[in-house]
Amino acid sequence: MLLPISLLALFIFNLLVRKSVHFKAYFTSPYNIFTSKVRSEISFSISNELMFDKVIEVLSESQFTLVNENRENLSLFATAKISWLSWGENLYIHFEDQKEGSILKFCSASLFQIYSWGKNQRNFQTLIEEIEESLTV
Amino acid sequence: MAIIVNLDIMLAKRKMKLKDLSEAVGVSTVNLSILKQSKVKAIRFSTLNSICEVLDCQPGDILEYVANEI
Repeated sequence: MLLPISLLALFIFNLLVRKSVHFKAYFTSPYNIFTSKVRSEISFSISNELMFDKVIEVLSESQFTLVNENRENLSLFATAKISWLSWGENLYIHFEDQKEGSILKFCSASLFQIYSWGKNQRNFQTLIEEIEESLTV
Repeated sequence: MAIIVNLDIMLAKRKMKLKDLSEAVGVSTVNLSILKQSKVKAIRFSTLNSICEVLDCQPGDILEYVANEI
């Protein structure tokens, strides 16, 4: 009896803190076995400040919801909608400088699922496709 | 890249700011900034048409081909 109640309490806790950027470490931690995660990175020949603005623009027109943007450390936090496959995912995007351009570091963490049914990987692919598409002006 | 975008030169000639061009053309400043750096994947004829119309210039004033040195 205690286990289902604990799991339910943990699920409700995850739902409540989902949109808080302060819980990034909790959702992306490799020790948190209740959230499946996918980490990817891709480089662009565009400076990280410009890419930061570009991704904000892309996110605002996409299926994702931009929750938080931090220009100081060039990080973005967005969420993916709930679907019949998942309870939704948290998307953490961070930009780093490289010699000629920038590196986009991406982490998609599912809310309360050990297996994401490929949703995390699809979130990354969707975002990259939308960025590439938006580079046609 | 072999195609160079001389948008900043044309903007300077017309004494126009990127923000003003963005509003006139209907393309975001982010996209115009990326275009200015020749980092876009492609440019639509409609966008090129609008830019030429606003800046009163020819496509050749904005786009230039420079052969890659071997």
